Amino acid sequence: MQASRARLFKEYKEVQREKSADPDIQLVCDDSNIFKWTALIKGPSETPFEGGVFQLAFAVPEQYPLQPPQVRFLTKIFHPNVHFKTGEICLDILKNAWSPAWTLQSVCRAIIALMAHPEPDSPLNCDSGNLLRSGDTRGYQSMARMYTRLAAMPKKG
Amino acid sequence: MDSSDDDFYSGEAMDDDYDYYNSDDAEDNDDYEFIEEDPDEDIDNLTSRRQQQSYTVLKEDDICQRQEDDITRVSTVLSISRVDASILLRHYNWCVSKVHDAWFADEDGVRKSVGLLEKPLVQFPNAKELTCGICFESYARDEVLSAVCGHPFCSACWRGYISATVNDGPGCLTLRCPDPSCRAAIGQDMIDKLASGEDKAKYCRYLIRSYVEDNRKTKWCPAPGCEYAVDFAAGSGNFDVWCLCSYSFCWNCTEEAHRPVDCGTVSKWILKNCAESENMNWILANSKPCPKCKRPIEKNQGCMHMTCSPPCKFEFCWLCLGAWSDHGERTGGFYACNRYETAKQQGDYDEAERRREMAKNSLEKYTHYYERWASNQSSRQKALADLHQMQTVHLEKLSDIQCTPESQLKFIIEAWLQIVECRRVLKWTYAYGYYLPEHELAKKQFFEYLQGEAESGLERLHQCAEKELQQFLTDESPSKEFNDFRTKLAGLTSVTKNYFENLVRALENGLADVDSHAACSKTTSSKHAGGASKGKSGRGKGSSRTGGSHDTGR
Ligand SMILES: [Zn+2]
Ligand SMILES: [Zn+2]
Ligand SMILES: [Zn+2]
Ligand SMILES: [Zn+2]
Ligand SMILES: [Zn+2]
Ligand SMILES: [Zn+2]
Repeated sequence: MQASRARLFKEYKEVQREKSADPDIQLVCDDSNIFKWTALIKGPSETPFEGGVFQLAFAVPEQYPLQPPQVRFLTKIFHPNVHFKTGEICLDILKNAWSPAWTLQSVCRAIIALMAHPEPDSPLNCDSGNLLRSGDTRGYQSMARMYTRLAAMPKKG
Repeated sequence: MDSSDDDFYSGEAMDDDYDYYNSDDAEDNDDYEFIEEDPDEDIDNLTSRRQQQSYTVLKEDDICQRQEDDITRVSTVLSISRVDASILLRHYNWCVSKVHDAWFADEDGVRKSVGLLEKPLVQFPNAKELTCGICFESYARDEVLSAVCGHPFCSACWRGYISATVNDGPGCLTLRCPDPSCRAAIGQDMIDKLASGEDKAKYCRYLIRSYVEDNRKTKWCPAPGCEYAVDFAAGSGNFDVWCLCSYSFCWNCTEEAHRPVDCGTVSKWILKNCAESENMNWILANSKPCPKCKRPIEKNQGCMHMTCSPPCKFEFCWLCLGAWSDHGERTGGFYACNRYETAKQQGDYDEAERRREMAKNSLEKYTHYYERWASNQSSRQKALADLHQMQTVHLEKLSDIQCTPESQLKFIIEAWLQIVECRRVLKWTYAYGYYLPEHELAKKQFFEYLQGEAESGLERLHQCAEKELQQFLTDESPSKEFNDFRTKLAGLTSVTKNYFENLVRALENGLADVDSHAACSKTTSSKHAGGASKGKSGRGKGSSRTGGSHDTGR
């Protein structure tokens, strides 16, 4: 508990110090609980998520960083490895490939990479996975782009 | 005593020095070979004598020793540390030759994929302080530790990292540096340096388990609570192994030992039993109505010869419920309780009726075989318990009553061991029989003949060991008949052993000898009769044996 708090506090200070180090990621610690974080990440360019801003919720376990944080999308996203309803993410580093040297910041980076490179063979969203697996890239992209516009972009007008 | 008793023990079998184990056909079946007699021999030795050299039972010490030896070999041949050798061996499923081959073919490739670095990836030659890669605190140089790669972590974080992985399961054996970009393997040296005593023990446990479970040559004994492993050398067609815990199992499929029946038949049969288990529950019930007085009789003995309680005292066969006295005659002169006859289908059945009849027949057929399979199973369990009781209690008692040294009572233990083994074989022959194609009539008859011979021999042996022995346990003083009993039981053991060897051999042959059936049964029967004096052959001999001989010694 003390170790995880100390480690999170280090990460907190690092985030404060390097606020503009990575313009695609904005990590925010909860006002009252250092084990709860949110992040805003920008959809990577040249993907159907470009132009969208996606919100992630982090729940950090007491054994952190020996155990990975739990992360899910709060913003709706159409992606094979993200559960469409719960926002749960299927990503190896959040499970068995976790390393205690990862940080919340590097998890965000890994999630951005996952948005650009979906893994249709381990889908949490079958519709999305099937489109990609059947080779219907255009179908996938237009669905994903539609949801990005609907859910991840500031309403115009 | 019935004169027919002479038939099944005679000649060398009667000798008090038990040299019947050296009888002439022992040499073509090493499996059951009892080579020489040693008066101090205990049951462990008897059991281990059944082992062929195709396998070795390993205790934990043996496992560790072999593991150490393999590590030493690899470390010597490749000139690497023992820690690295252990990592390599685990990666190649503990196969020394695979390690050698891979290493000499492509050392760099192997090092890379296994994570054995030769030099550090990162170096901090002038730094006074280093930042731990997990807690991000700064530490003096001598407070951080690294694997070969050089990635620095403080010892508290190392401990946490190692403890979390060890408690997560056997994956700790492939531990890597915590740095996600680094694949450096973390070996046992780091564990020894940093893990708690409890975690170290867990790690060692996983290492031993891996040596047995990942190794293609070894398996754990599947008996509950048994901690021995069996190392099996390929090349033998027979997979039955006897563990030192006395459990025997098939090394190939890890079901209980099922020689002479093959693994495929066994797994089919076990599946079938699962599917039919609800229909068959009644068979496992241990009581049946007496065929004469209809009172329920509980089966609490191993042999199938049942006697109803007074005043009825009707003697009958547990399996077919026929009178035991005409067990031989009724069935055409030889033991036929093992046979399954399909109900005659005649007359003009309409289609629906025919189907119903077929369904009924197929269930009846299965029931026939299943009941015999299950009865032999429970009979074997009973025999095992009796054997244990004999070894722990009765033998000593008997020795006192009959004023005979225990070493001279070995024939009783040998009889029980034979019973246990025969019940096992007999049980599996019923699975074999169930799958024997209906249309291969000659084979089926040959099989049922051999099985019947073996089974009737076994029933006699079991009855003799179970019931006839009782009186000598209650004697006030040494009994004159005890020597006769010894001769009879030892003879029955030998004869039954021969019958079963014939059965096993024939089944392993796929009943290929069916054509020489007549000739075969002639030679074998004269063999176990101990000489030409009992020159009756085949069925004729069977009839004289079976008729009425069950009351012998009662
Ligand atoms: Zn640390
Ligand atoms: Zn490293
Ligand atoms: Zn065992
Ligand atoms: Zn098997
Ligand atoms: Zn009765
Ligand atoms: Zn019967």
